[in-house]
Amino acid sequence: MKAEDEDYFLNPPPGSAAACAVEFGIDLTLTLENLRLTPEERIRKLDEFIIGVARLKASARVLGPRDAADNQNN
Amino acid sequence: MPPIIKIIEEPLKLLGEHGVECVIIGGVAATLYGSTILTNDLDVCYARNAENLERLATALLSVNTQLRGAPPDLPFILDTETLRRGLNFTFTTDVGNLDLLGEVRGLGFYEQAIPGAIMFELFGYSFPVLAIKKLIEAKRTAGRAKDMVALPELEAIQERQLQERSEEDKRET
Repeated sequence: MKAEDEDYFLNPPPGSAAACAVEFGIDLTLTLENLRLTPEERIRKLDEFIIGVARLKASARVLGPRDAADNQNN
Repeated sequence: MPPIIKIIEEPLKLLGEHGVECVIIGGVAATLYGSTILTNDLDVCYARNAENLERLATALLSVNTQLRGAPPDLPFILDTETLRRGLNFTFTTDVGNLDLLGEVRGLGFYEQAIPGAIMFELFGYSFPVLAIKKLIEAKRTAGRAKDMVALPELEAIQERQLQERSEEDKRET
């Protein structure tokens, strides 16, 4: 990746679309991370994220309110 | 635990393997341009010529395709004729969700979506991806909150691409 690309996303010029995105709340350092990848790597990363979320959901168990657990222990 | 399916990679391979004429749009197109927005399905705009509908029907039949969100008793025969009579379909398949759009709001049909598309080599197949300018237009037209949230980042990526192109032009002249 070119130094100019890195600079555009890390230090957005005033009035640029990148500056507007930062103001909107977009973390352009994450965009830059994606841009450093090849297109195929971007898809694999997305798939891995989706799989990770599915695993998280599958492994999660609701234990109930924390207060109830405290009361049980006392 | 059910087998882990790569729900973007596998449908892409399916379309590639069957030579389906389509252009990648939506969140996956945004991902390919570098956007960090997340999506969990693949949206494509497909060509509606008879040969392509045949290829599409064959591809979909091979992965147990069902209409997403439709009552299980709703009669649905997946064949070329059904695809010809319909336009936009949301499917669930053994390899993930697949949204097939005959027409994209604000853009039109495949024939209007394809000019300016960028070719990407993905998993051994070549796919056209909707031009970032058109992707932004389509998201702006769709106007849903999730589309509007994606715009500032896409516009920044597009602006940098345009700057780069103009720098290249200057170097060449």
